[in-house]
Amino acid sequence: MSSNRKTVVGVIFGGRSVEHDVSVVTGNQVMRAFDTDRYEVVPIYIDRNGKWFTGKPLMELKNFNDEVTGLPGVEDAILSPSINHHGLIINPIAGRFSKSAIKRLDVVFPAVHGTHGEDGTLQGLLELADIPYVGCGVMASAIANDKIMTKAVLQQSGIPVVDSVHFSRIAWRDDPDAIIKQLEASLTYPMFIKPATTGSSIGIGYAPDETLLRASIDIATHFDRNILVEGAVADSVEINCAVMGNDDDIRASVLEQPVSWQDFLTYEEKYLRGNEGMKSADRIIPAPLTDELTEQIRQTAIDSFKAIDGRGTARVDLLVKPDENVFYVNEINTMPGSLAFYLWQEEGLSSAETVEQLVQLAQDAHAIKRQSTYNYQTNLIAQTAARGLKGAKGRKSVTN
Amino acid sequence: MISFVLVILILIWFAGVLFRIYRQAHFYQIEEYQSSRYIRWLFEKRNRWLPARPVVVWFVGTSFSVMLAEAPGSIFPGVIGIIAAIVAVWPAKRGEVKKPFRRTQRVSRILGTAFVFTSILALLVGLVNFLLLNDQMPALRFGFAGAAGLLSFILAPLILILSNIVMQPVEAVSRRRFLNNARRVLHDVQPTVIGITGSYGKTSTKVYLAQILSGRYRTLPTPKSYNTLMGVSMVINDTLAYDYSIEYFIVEMGAYIPGEIAEICDLTHPHIAVIIDVGPQHLERFGSIEQTAIAKYELIQALPPNGVGVFNWDSPHVREMYERGYPQTRIAVSRQVSPDDVPEDGPRFIASDIQQTLDGLTFTVTDTATRETELFITTLLGEHTVTNILLATAVAIHEKMSLQEVARMVRLLQPAESRLVRQVTAQGITIINDAYSANPVGAANALRVLGLHRGGKRLLITPGIVELGDLMEAENRKLGEVAAQHVTDVILVGQEQTQPIQSGLVNAGFPKERIIVVDLLAESITWYQQHLKPGDAVLFLNDLPDTYHQ
Repeated sequence: MSSNRKTVVGVIFGGRSVEHDVSVVTGNQVMRAFDTDRYEVVPIYIDRNGKWFTGKPLMELKNFNDEVTGLPGVEDAILSPSINHHGLIINPIAGRFSKSAIKRLDVVFPAVHGTHGEDGTLQGLLELADIPYVGCGVMASAIANDKIMTKAVLQQSGIPVVDSVHFSRIAWRDDPDAIIKQLEASLTYPMFIKPATTGSSIGIGYAPDETLLRASIDIATHFDRNILVEGAVADSVEINCAVMGNDDDIRASVLEQPVSWQDFLTYEEKYLRGNEGMKSADRIIPAPLTDELTEQIRQTAIDSFKAIDGRGTARVDLLVKPDENVFYVNEINTMPGSLAFYLWQEEGLSSAETVEQLVQLAQDAHAIKRQSTYNYQTNLIAQTAARGLKGAKGRKSVTN
Repeated sequence: MISFVLVILILIWFAGVLFRIYRQAHFYQIEEYQSSRYIRWLFEKRNRWLPARPVVVWFVGTSFSVMLAEAPGSIFPGVIGIIAAIVAVWPAKRGEVKKPFRRTQRVSRILGTAFVFTSILALLVGLVNFLLLNDQMPALRFGFAGAAGLLSFILAPLILILSNIVMQPVEAVSRRRFLNNARRVLHDVQPTVIGITGSYGKTSTKVYLAQILSGRYRTLPTPKSYNTLMGVSMVINDTLAYDYSIEYFIVEMGAYIPGEIAEICDLTHPHIAVIIDVGPQHLERFGSIEQTAIAKYELIQALPPNGVGVFNWDSPHVREMYERGYPQTRIAVSRQVSPDDVPEDGPRFIASDIQQTLDGLTFTVTDTATRETELFITTLLGEHTVTNILLATAVAIHEKMSLQEVARMVRLLQPAESRLVRQVTAQGITIINDAYSANPVGAANALRVLGLHRGGKRLLITPGIVELGDLMEAENRKLGEVAAQHVTDVILVGQEQTQPIQSGLVNAGFPKERIIVVDLLAESITWYQQHLKPGDAVLFLNDLPDTYHQ
C-alpha cells in the first residue's frame, strides 16, 4: 500500500514446542531489526502451554521469566481466522469491566521454530485469516518439517540425498529385529537416527554399532511416530546455505560451515580455529570450499527450495565431501534460527534490510494468491433448498 | 353543543396539519434538512407551498356559513366548517417519489418537536376561542377556528423548519459523536483512502475501481451513491468498523455547496484523489461551473504532499487542476489524445481505437511511461465509461497492479446499478437502463448507445435532465436535438418540464406524431409494453428525479 502510515507487523514467537526458548530469542532479534520509523511492531507471544499474549513488555528479552505473562501491559490475545478482523483480538473474553479490541496487522512475521509453528499449522491459521505472512506456506512448511517427506520430494526432483531407511514407531515396537536386519542390509555403520519431525538436534542419535543403534532408536521413538535412519557420510562437513525469494526470483547466500557438530563430523577443531574465514567459535563464513563447488551448492539450495514450493526464506543444510566434490541435501529449515541474519549480512544486507525484504516478499506472495478466485457464486444452495434436501442426498445414495 | 363542534373542528385541522408535516418531512429529508434548499424546492411550484384544495374549500365553506348564519345559536356554520375542514385536510394523492422515506432518529426528533409545536398552536386557538371569543357569534368563532386551521396548514413547512432549528443543539451533539466514532474507526482500521469526485461518473468510476483493485486488494467502496459527510460516516461506522481487512476505502464525494468535500476529506484523509469532470450538474445549487470546479479542487487540496492525484485530461477544468502542479505525483488519462503524439507532461494512460457495439466496448490502453499496451474488452456501454475505466486503471497501476492484471479485471467488470445497463427481456425487447445518471454527457452517450441498435424501434423514455440551473432549458433542448438523430419514438414524462426537449426534437426535424407526453412513468411503461415488439429497444434515461413530482 502506498499510504504514508507505518506498516504494522505482528511478530509471533515462543510456542508449544521444545524450541520455545530459541524462538523467543529469534523473535526478539526480528522485532529489534525493524526500522521503527516505518514499521510498528506488535509482539505476539505463545507460551509453553500454547496461550497467546500481546503487549509492549514482550519486546524486552530481560522480561522473559516465569512471570512475563503476568506483567502489566501484557494481555490475552488471539489471532482471528475470521477474515474481517485481519489481526489480533485483544482481551477476547471481555467481562463487565473490560473491553475487547482489534489490532489490525498488515503482515505477520512468524518466528516460531519447530512444532506448531514451523510445520504449517501456524501458516494454516494465517491463510485462513488472509493476512500476508513471512516465510514458507502451509505445504512447504509441512514438507520441510518432516525429514522423510523432504527426502522423498527432493529425490523426486533429482536432488542428491543421503541413503536412508524409515519406519514407524509401531513397526519398531512390533519387531525390532526385522528393522535392524533391514537397516544393516541397506546401510553401513555408523548411522544417524532421527525422529522425522523434531527440529534442532533433539532426539537425534549417532550409532557406530548395533547396541547403540537399538538404544538410539528407542530414544528417538519418544519424540516421533516415524523414524529415519541415515548412513553417515564419511569425511563430510556440514554446510548451510540460506535462500530468499519467491517463485523464479530466488537468491542464495554465502555458505557457512557450522562446527559445533565436530564430534559427529570427524572434523578437527584445531584446524577450524586456525581458519581465517572464521567468524565465531562455532561457524566458518564463507565455508572453505572451491568456488566451483560453492556455486554448485548454492544452485542446489535454490533448486531444493523450489522443489518443496518454498517462498520467503529458508536455510538449506547439506553434507559435503569437499575432496570428492560430492554433496547431499540433508534438510530444509523454513524458520532457521536468527533467520540466518548473519549470512545475509555477508551479502551486504543489514538485519533491518533483511526483515524489510522478507516483509515485501510476504506481501508480494499474498498479492499473487489474491489473483486466484475463491469466491465463486453458484445457485446450488437455492436449487437444493427449492428441491428439498432429499434431492441433494438422492445423488449421494446412487454412489452408496 | 357549540363548544363540542368547535373542539371537533380544531382537532380535524390539528390532525390535518400533523399529517401535512409528516409528509413534508419526507421532502425535507430528501433536501437533507437544509432549510434553504427545502424552501427553494417548496416555492418552485405554487401547489407545493399553497395547495389549492384547502384554500378553495375554506373559502366556499366560510361563504356558506356567513350566508346561513342568520339564526343565532345555529350550529349549521359549525357543521359546514367540519365538512369543509375534512375535505380541506384530506390527504392529496401522492405523486411518485424515488427515494423512500427513512425513519431515522433525526426525523423522529424533528417530528416529535413539530407535534409539540402544533399541539401548542391548537391549544392557543382553543384558549383564544373559549376565553376571549366566548361571547361572540358562533359564526365568528367557527370562522376563527377555521382560519387559524388553514393558516397552520399552509405554514406547516414552517413548523417543520422551526422544529429543526430548535433541535439543532441536540443534532450537533449526536453528529459530533457520530463523526468522532467514524474518526476512531478509520484510525484503527487504517485503510488507504481513495477519494472520487466529479460532476458525473462518480458512482461508476468508484464501482469499477473497487472491482479492479479487488483483483489484488481488499476494498470497500461507499455503497450506492452515499457521498455526503454523514453518508460516508455511516459507511465507516456500520461497515468498516467490522472489517479490519479493508486495505482500500473508496469514497465517493459529492458536493452541493463549497466546503462539503473539504469536510469529508477532513474526516477521511484521502491519499489518492480521482477527479472525473466538472460540468453543469447540480448547477442550481452551485451557481456557476467555476464554483463547481473550486469545490471539486478541495479534494486535491486535501491530499498530503506525497499523495496521488488522478485527473481526466479531456476535461478542460480538470486538466487545469492537473497543470496546477499539486501534489507531486499526478497522473492524467485521456481518450482523445493520440498515444503516438503525447504532449509534454501530458496524459500517462491513453485509450485509443475505441470501438463500441451494443455488446460493449473494446479499446487499447497505452501506458506512455512504459510504452506497454493492452487491449481492454468490456461489456459495459457508453464512451464515458472508457474515461472511468482509465481513471481506475491509473489508480490500480500506481498501487502496483500490472496493466495485464487490470485488463483481466476489466473483462469481468459489472456495471453500477441502473447505469447504462443493457438487458434483453423474455419478449426479446432490449432495455437500456440509465436511470440514475442525470447529466448531459452521459445522456448523449446513452442516446448514442441506443442509436447502435438496428432492426427495430428505438424508444426513448425520459423526463429530461433536471438540476442544471440556468442551463436546464438549453441542455434539454440540446438533448432533444441529439435524441432526434438516434431514436425513432419518444415518450416524455411530465408536460411542463419536457417542453424544451420537445422543441429540440421538433427543431431537429423529428416527426411530432412520434412524441408522446405522459404524466407518470407508469403510463410510459404501459405504452411500451403495448406497442413494442421483439427486436425493438428502449432507453430509460434518468427515469425519475428524486423530488420533482408533486
